[in-house]
Amino acid sequence: MEKQQISTLTGVIDKKMNRQLKQYLDICARCAICKDACHQYVATQDFKYLPARRAELIRQIYKKYFTKSGQFVPELYEGRDPDERLLEELYESTYACTGCRRCMFYCPFSIDTTWILTVAKGILAAAGMTNEMLEQLADAAIFKGDNFEMFRDVVVDGFKDIETQVQAITGNPDAEIPVDKEGADILYVALAGAHSILPAAVIFNEAEANWTISLFEAANYGYFIGDAEKARKIADRFMDEALRLGVKEVVITECGHAYRVAEVFHEVWSGKKHPFKVRHVLEVMDEYIKDGRIKVDPNSITEPVTYHDPCQVGRNAGIFDEPRDIVKALATDFRDLTPSREEQWCCGGGGGLVAMEEFEDLRMKSGKIKADQISATGAHLIASPCENCRLQMEDLDKKYEMDLTVKSIMELVVDAMPLAGREAYEASIERENAAKGE
Amino acid sequence: MELFLNITIVWGVYLGIGVFVIGMGWRIYDWVTTPKSPVKLGMYPKPKTTAGRYLKAFKDTFIAPQSAKIEPKMWFFAFAFHVAALGAFFGHGRLLHEFTPLVNWLGDEGMDTFAAWSGGTAGIIMLVGVLFWIGRRTFGPYKQLSVPEDFLLLFLLFGIIIMGDHMRFVGHIHAETYREWFQSLLVFKPEIPTEILSSKTGWSLGAHMLFTDLFLIYFPFSKLVHTIGAFSANLVRSE
Repeated sequence: MEKQQISTLTGVIDKKMNRQLKQYLDICARCAICKDACHQYVATQDFKYLPARRAELIRQIYKKYFTKSGQFVPELYEGRDPDERLLEELYESTYACTGCRRCMFYCPFSIDTTWILTVAKGILAAAGMTNEMLEQLADAAIFKGDNFEMFRDVVVDGFKDIETQVQAITGNPDAEIPVDKEGADILYVALAGAHSILPAAVIFNEAEANWTISLFEAANYGYFIGDAEKARKIADRFMDEALRLGVKEVVITECGHAYRVAEVFHEVWSGKKHPFKVRHVLEVMDEYIKDGRIKVDPNSITEPVTYHDPCQVGRNAGIFDEPRDIVKALATDFRDLTPSREEQWCCGGGGGLVAMEEFEDLRMKSGKIKADQISATGAHLIASPCENCRLQMEDLDKKYEMDLTVKSIMELVVDAMPLAGREAYEASIERENAAKGE
Repeated sequence: MELFLNITIVWGVYLGIGVFVIGMGWRIYDWVTTPKSPVKLGMYPKPKTTAGRYLKAFKDTFIAPQSAKIEPKMWFFAFAFHVAALGAFFGHGRLLHEFTPLVNWLGDEGMDTFAAWSGGTAGIIMLVGVLFWIGRRTFGPYKQLSVPEDFLLLFLLFGIIIMGDHMRFVGHIHAETYREWFQSLLVFKPEIPTEILSSKTGWSLGAHMLFTDLFLIYFPFSKLVHTIGAFSANLVRSE
């Protein structure tokens, strides 16, 4: 391997080095307690998915190039060059990781393997081995931010179409989806698609919130490829919008990673403190229900219903109670998964895996744990506030024939709200569907 | 034997302690002078107060309840080993100074019986722990994950413990003689008592210390730095 290439790849470790990373690389005892924490390892028993092994690949380079003892006797630590073979192993181990950090939860030293794998993603990027699909999605989002005038009309027209539906379902002709509203209290950042806009718009209108919608979606593929610069640029799009409009809070839709990017990472990446709060829409909905700003039917769901904690919402962001309180406010038979909350199993679709075809088999195999967990509750309705988790669970439903309905919390809330126009709206939808059928 | 003992229980000890102290000092300096991660890496649930954070890190480091939950067998052996090692470490304090209050309370004979039981128990627990780890690393994913460093450390630990146990269960040299030797090292006037030189147990002591010297020399460059790094890493968990 050429010295130049080694220097480029090891330079990534040097650039990303910090105290935590160094300690993680120095102290791991390779006890492998983490193996039973990882859904992928448990489901496949494949060594490359063992969390400590994923990190060990970076440790092997670190030992050989960054420690005196490793330079002196690399064999002692199995120190290695970042050669083609290692890079291939690294790609498989790194991009397969959903970043759930369940291994960190059980590790006696709390080693954050996901953090070590951000270095792995950096090395892979320097070697020209970034996941192409995720990179394209990230670049497309940045392009949209840089050239927004090209997209503006389409986006705003889309909002107007959804606004019509909001007016119909609420029976309120004044209901709106405000765009570019200066002085709004809330900037709501949705995902692409009506499913994360319509229910939120109904809720904000019914709660008479002073809100506006972001012109940009929350999803952040820059985060999935471990590229902080790209991830920042993607989040900057709506953070700059929030600054321009002078909102009091940015509310992120039902998405796990987008919330974590906005709440945990963005201030550090941008080097600027937010003059507004960042909240998850779950927190807002819970507040509206508890304050009586929106009314919900406590018997809206009579069948057993369960809830899946997305890793980036639960274990990695601390939102455990709000979604449970919301579901309990609408349902008569709430059944929690076992284990749940901070010990929740990953659904298997996080980390951008649902967008990467090459990992579909792994996704389905490792998702069997989630499928079994859901089946054990006896519930056929599950709610989860993360798009990736929902897509994964829908795929699991097809694969394992679970007869499962997967919904967002917002959908459940809107279903439970007494809305003046609902009947007429649903009748019109039925008529439309019937006409299409003819 | 005298040359062997001079190397292992005199100069090797100085070298071992010297490398250990400087090495660990350098390790701490290296960590402290490396900038902290600007991103908070904590996970939930996390305590709301600083005192709570430290308490949790303390619990996570010394009891590791999460690890106990997911792999109780490994936790049991690891916990027992670490407690026994801590006990043995403090027990070796007798080399510095006799535990006078304990002797006053138990009497000379009682003290010897107590030391024999406590030291013996710790020695056996540590031996079982090391054998468990060696066994664990010989199969499945544990074997695949292991690197030579893991076996080197286990080999050194095994050597220290087995020779320590030999001295405890087979040897006939009293603690007072060992204290005489160790205190001579402390005042930099090393002397090996005749009782050690003339006893077969001297070979055991020499081997015990040879493994210990090598262990101390390698310690700062090994994964064993988790002894000082585990707490701060666990503290990051709740930042």
